[in-house]
Amino acid sequence: MDNMKHFSFIRLLSIILLAAGLLAGSCRKAFLDQKPSTDLLIPNTMTVFQELLDNTQVMNISPGIGEVSADNYYLTYATWVGLDTKEYNAYIWAPDLYEGQGLVTDWDIPYQQVFYANTVLQGLTGIQTDTTNQAQWNMLEGEALFTRAFAFFNIAGLFAEPFDSATAATDPGIPIRLTPDFNAKTTRSSMQASYTQLLNDLHTAEGLLPTAIPFTNLNRPSRPAAQALLARIYLSVGDYTDAGLYADSVLQTYSFLLDYNDIPDTLSLIPIKNNMPEILYQSNFPLTGNVLEGILCSGCLIDTNLLFSYAPNDLRRPVYYTQIKSDSFTLKGSYSGTVFPFAGLATDELYLIRAECRARAGQTVNALSDLDSLLTHRWRTGTFTGYPISSVAEALDTILVERRKELAFRGLRWSDLRRLNKEGWGIMLNRNLNGVPYTLPPNSELYTLPIPPDVIQLSGIMQNPR
Amino acid sequence: MGLLKPAVPFLLLMGLLQSRPLLCQSPIRITLTETGAPFSKFLEDLHEKFGISYSVISDVAEQGHRVSFSVKDASLKQVLDICFKGQPFTYKMVDGGISIRPFATKSMTVHGQVFDGKNEPLARVTVRVRGDAAAAVATDDNGEFTVSTHEQDPLLIFSSVNYELQELRPKEGKDMTVQLQEKVNELSEVVVHTGFQDVHRKSVTGSVDDVNNELINRRVGPNILERIDGVTSGVLFNTNIAVGTNQSTITIRGRSTIFSNPNPLVVVDNFPYSGDINNINPDDVESITILKDAGAGSIWGALSGNGVIVITTKKGKLNQAPRLTFNTSETVGAKPNLYYLPILSSNDYINVEEYLFHQGYYNPTYYSPAHNALTPVVNLLYQDSLGQLAPAQAQAQIDALRGQDFRPGLDKYFYRPALNSQVSLNLSGGGEYDQYFLSAGYDRDLSNLDRNDYDRVTLNGANSYFLLNGKLELNTDLTLTSSTTVNDNPGGTNVNYPYAQVADAHGNPLPVAYGLNEPYIDTAGGGQLLDWHYRPLQELQNADNPTRLTDYRINFAARYTIRKGLDARAYYQFERGSSDNPNYQSQQTYYTRNLINAYTQNMNGVFSYPVPLGGILNENSSSYTSNNVRLQLDYNDSLFRHGLLNLIGGAEVRDLEGESTNLQLFGYDPGQEIGVPVDYVDLFTQYSNGTALKIPYNDTKLGTSERYISYYGNGVYTYLGRYMLSVSARRDESNLFGVNANQKGVPLGALGGSWQISKESFYHWNWLPLLKLRITDGYNGNVDRSVSAYTTANINPQSNTFGAINASIINPPNADLRWEKIHILNFGTDFSTRNDRFGGTFEYYMKTGLDLIGQSPVDPTTGVTSFTGNTANIRDRGVDLSLHMNNSFGEFRWNSILLFSYVRDKVTKYNQQLATVNGYFSTGTLNPLLGRPLYSVYALKWEGLDHQTGDPKGYLNGSAQSPGQVTENYNSILFSSDLSNLIYKGPVSPPYFGGWRNDLFWRQWGLSFNILYKMGYVFRRGSIDYTDLFDGVSPGHPDYDRRWQNPGDELRTNVPSLPVPNLTANQPRDNFYKNSEALIEKGDQVRLQDVQITFDINRSAHPKLPAQQLRFYLYANSLGIIWKANHAGVDPDFISTIPNPRTLALGVKASF
Repeated sequence: MDNMKHFSFIRLLSIILLAAGLLAGSCRKAFLDQKPSTDLLIPNTMTVFQELLDNTQVMNISPGIGEVSADNYYLTYATWVGLDTKEYNAYIWAPDLYEGQGLVTDWDIPYQQVFYANTVLQGLTGIQTDTTNQAQWNMLEGEALFTRAFAFFNIAGLFAEPFDSATAATDPGIPIRLTPDFNAKTTRSSMQASYTQLLNDLHTAEGLLPTAIPFTNLNRPSRPAAQALLARIYLSVGDYTDAGLYADSVLQTYSFLLDYNDIPDTLSLIPIKNNMPEILYQSNFPLTGNVLEGILCSGCLIDTNLLFSYAPNDLRRPVYYTQIKSDSFTLKGSYSGTVFPFAGLATDELYLIRAECRARAGQTVNALSDLDSLLTHRWRTGTFTGYPISSVAEALDTILVERRKELAFRGLRWSDLRRLNKEGWGIMLNRNLNGVPYTLPPNSELYTLPIPPDVIQLSGIMQNPR
Repeated sequence: MGLLKPAVPFLLLMGLLQSRPLLCQSPIRITLTETGAPFSKFLEDLHEKFGISYSVISDVAEQGHRVSFSVKDASLKQVLDICFKGQPFTYKMVDGGISIRPFATKSMTVHGQVFDGKNEPLARVTVRVRGDAAAAVATDDNGEFTVSTHEQDPLLIFSSVNYELQELRPKEGKDMTVQLQEKVNELSEVVVHTGFQDVHRKSVTGSVDDVNNELINRRVGPNILERIDGVTSGVLFNTNIAVGTNQSTITIRGRSTIFSNPNPLVVVDNFPYSGDINNINPDDVESITILKDAGAGSIWGALSGNGVIVITTKKGKLNQAPRLTFNTSETVGAKPNLYYLPILSSNDYINVEEYLFHQGYYNPTYYSPAHNALTPVVNLLYQDSLGQLAPAQAQAQIDALRGQDFRPGLDKYFYRPALNSQVSLNLSGGGEYDQYFLSAGYDRDLSNLDRNDYDRVTLNGANSYFLLNGKLELNTDLTLTSSTTVNDNPGGTNVNYPYAQVADAHGNPLPVAYGLNEPYIDTAGGGQLLDWHYRPLQELQNADNPTRLTDYRINFAARYTIRKGLDARAYYQFERGSSDNPNYQSQQTYYTRNLINAYTQNMNGVFSYPVPLGGILNENSSSYTSNNVRLQLDYNDSLFRHGLLNLIGGAEVRDLEGESTNLQLFGYDPGQEIGVPVDYVDLFTQYSNGTALKIPYNDTKLGTSERYISYYGNGVYTYLGRYMLSVSARRDESNLFGVNANQKGVPLGALGGSWQISKESFYHWNWLPLLKLRITDGYNGNVDRSVSAYTTANINPQSNTFGAINASIINPPNADLRWEKIHILNFGTDFSTRNDRFGGTFEYYMKTGLDLIGQSPVDPTTGVTSFTGNTANIRDRGVDLSLHMNNSFGEFRWNSILLFSYVRDKVTKYNQQLATVNGYFSTGTLNPLLGRPLYSVYALKWEGLDHQTGDPKGYLNGSAQSPGQVTENYNSILFSSDLSNLIYKGPVSPPYFGGWRNDLFWRQWGLSFNILYKMGYVFRRGSIDYTDLFDGVSPGHPDYDRRWQNPGDELRTNVPSLPVPNLTANQPRDNFYKNSEALIEKGDQVRLQDVQITFDINRSAHPKLPAQQLRFYLYANSLGIIWKANHAGVDPDFISTIPNPRTLALGVKASF
């Protein structure tokens, strides 16, 4: 072999090495940093944060198991035996709801909301703010805090005992998770700490959120929505002063009520169309079970006492319910303009909160005026002439009855039963299935639902006594 | 040779061996003394002491006189001149040594012609003369040669790759006629293509199957991968694949991943194929190689986890006259048997409808403001009960329907016999410095479904040029495919009641009950709406749904021989394919009419159309572009005295970019190709039911990117031709999202060895001249591109209730994300008797999928309920056995090949268990269970039917210790979290499978048939599902006729009684029965897959033949089951679909 050949080989080798060197350098990193798919996003911009918060399938869902356990409806035996385990047991307030089955949406979805909110809150700490983006930053921070507080409150209303300020410091509350890190251990905070956290979140949100209600994006909270939620929470813990104040704050700025006489076709499946202007914040029950499928469930029949409490001129009966047999009615499409039962915040609830708080404060006239405002929008025009009420007690009774009638299947009945029984109203729940009676006595431990078994197993937190 | 400087081992690795350092650098000085030494000893000394090689014919050397001399510091020539003096031969110095040759004598010229076994002239056969190195020629295109030699009584040696060596002595003055036999012992000379190099079969330690050209051409059809079905061991074509379960069509040696890519890697020539496999014309394919273990496959690294299928396309040949080959075939296929799928008779179905009607079952639907469709019988019953018809009129009409069946109409108007036509033409050949292969193919496929067609044009041009005395080789290859698939016929009617009719007696389309109810359609809109009827036949006539595909591939490869044994190679491939599917649904189609009607707004008698009048175009376009570059060094030389070393090493970059777009245009005018803007934002009240919906928005765009940088090497060292050691290693880096750079890569590799015992001196089994043992151990890889190390989000396909774009978090961050690894240990042995009369291969392997992507449960309080990460393992054990036999009885030849494969997989690590027994019956998801095959059939214990009610009886919480309890609370079983209620019945895929192929030849005739078998697996057959029957979701099942009706029936039947309609009660009862042991059947089966008959005519036998060679062939496929274990009348390959109809192909192939 001569030297020429040698030389050409070395030259070729060096070219190859050079090419290999290119692959090893910085362009190699750029080459390999390409996203595998354009639809894969890293949540690190405010645009993506908003998109996460706008995921209504996650963020605007409320747990429905409380409504399943409440007394606004009844089931035939045949329907009941076909229910899935959780709803089957919840209907008869069985001590063990899950029979070992995990993945309980009533727990999992609110905590998924907490995870999304925490992801956004942590992400926001990495965003530099200036005058151009401060408003958006504030709104996102407010939305995340609001959603997290709503989720914590929904969990506390099902999986923790009814709030009692005397023992709250030592009563077990709920897991308060403030980080998106899924390796962080889950622990139960005290009742006091749980409520302090969620109320603080909400008060902070109230200051950050925009004052205008976003009527075209009602899945997003606003300052009135935060105040409405505060009113709901304060009412649920028996703080009627603050509940009344916050309900009033909202109604001072926005007090719209829809006149049901303006509904074009009260007999249609979904009489109330989307973007109902009473709504301050959209949320609904998931369609994961059978009971709360609205118009889709023909076996979920409206409690007869509730049904007959509506006066003949009360338009709410045809708007809310539809007759399927001579003696049975079922639920129709909801307040949110869909088949999903509505569980969000609306002005009608605030009228009733303010009325109740005024009645409890002895302001009977003001309380009844709130009730009148509401009912004149619910009855056929000119037919509602006011209730003949003289005493404070009578006023409170009437308001609570109207509260149940107006807010039926809105996810509030279970919370009201817990609250009112704690005050001594002594409401007993009864079921009867093929002649077998079931009862839920007031203030029973069964009013606090068991934590799902997979949560107990994987986190080791304390189970509720049943 | 044999002297190595210390630096050499290093250089060796770099592919830089200097094999003859002494001769090249300085002249040799020789100091040597010989005293009366035999001439051969003198030659040996020259070689051993001074590295001078020599070539000599042994008996010549022995004729040499003894030599005596003594020299000091002499040159080689001086020494040789002394020693060759007076010898009966002389010498010549050649590069690197000396050549010893007899003195020239009288020369002799021999002329002759060489043929192959089929009497075809063989070109480029090397003709040498023993002892006369100068006399070497090659045959020309007619197989003729002329050689002159000085040898007396010369011995001519004829040699050619792929043919047995032949030695003959010519007779003086007579032309020779020589016939060469093709090499039969496949193991010895078959070339295996790994996609990186071509290696001889004998130097492979791993597990490799090859499908040669003859076997590829055995079948007829446009798809290349079908050609390997049933002819290779360990390769299983899966049937009954359930959507959503990540099952692959082809499995090589069982399953070794869960959620990642399950498909084998398909390589065409040098690079992974990115396009649609249907783009490859089988007539352009020379051979297919299947790499099954780590030894063979790990060179493909992270892509090799599921095995590798290497397709090698045809190339031209040097020094070959242009050769034109023409192949055409017509295949006819029977109509599918619509009566295969069991359905309820119209009479039974109507009886059930009457029963349900009297139970009031249809009232909610009939009276619902949603106006959903009810069948004609139900509507007649309502008309009757509401007094809208004269008495007995309804019954008469219903009775008329009892005699109707929807299948004859479907068969007549929707199906036809299939006809596939195929033509291909190719031209190949080559000169001294170039070779070429040009081909064109056209396929036209009229499917069984009327109006569904496929046609394809393929063009291919491959050229090679040999420059600089063969040192530089350049290859170019251009492939273009263009195809159109028309998919206008969905094959069905969208309705399930068995008395539906698609056309009247004159062939006019008839409406069927679908969508909205007939009485509502007839009155709705008062003439302001479009026709709202659904007519399946009209849909077929109006469909316009073609997919056009264009694909091209450009290959460029260069080899430069740096010096003998050392080559540098560079490869580049560019591939681009695009597919365009404009689905135009004119205003005549139901889809468009229905959408327009549904959104029609009636404002006090003023009608408006938010979905505009006109057609709707949904166009899906996608394209991909791939760029591949590879640089490689090949080294081939001897190492140590009897050793051979083969090394390759290189680097490659691969970039595959994909793009897809969906476009939807309303009010589309195909003439002007424009649409009309619509309001996607506002909600519109639906005309028929009052709900409010937005106009569906379907415009999307997506880009994908797959990038790899890889480094690889492969080495094989063969010692004494019988010991072999192989090493292969590869490192892949890819754009795994968010993974730290050092985790992006994965090193994979394998070690292997083989030992050909039959070459040992102690081996005395003469009857078994080939016995070889092989072993390999190493890692292949797989990658799941859907997971990420970051918290990642995905934009949801639908905007939220308020029209906003919204996103979901897919997975929490996974910093420890790794690639999947598949550890494969393979033992193999190859054996064959004399003349390869009987032989085979036996392999045993252990495969373990490690670090597989799987789900693990997470405390739901964290916000996620499961975590996707490298948490699962799967173990496979298997055996592949292939036996062949070649027999001849006079003119009759019989080759027989028996394939047997066994493979069983087991999930050995999996952290997540489903919450309930019921979850393991869901058909659309993959539900691994620890300790079981990935795809398993589970069932619930069956206790028969209740004596009183005919309700099924189940069994809850039984165990070895306690018998459990019999229960009719089906939900308590289905939703039990105790998995002991779940009985494992067997695997979904057959653990034992294989085939028996026989090829028979007599004179010009050939007959081949292939029998396939699958054993040891089970399936769940269908039966009556009352819920689906009542809902009209299914046409029912004839098991209905065998249902329990009276006490005592439970002794003869397992079919539950007809229940009182109640969804919540019936559904669990049906689910229990459907998933019970009562419906589990054995899948075992034997089927006659195909038969091929050939008739060959050669010009050598018929000189007047216009072609060199002509072949007529007949091929029948999908011939059917010979034996099956189940008695339920179910073909286990087609549990819930109609079996592939039989096809018959007639073809002719000619070469000129």
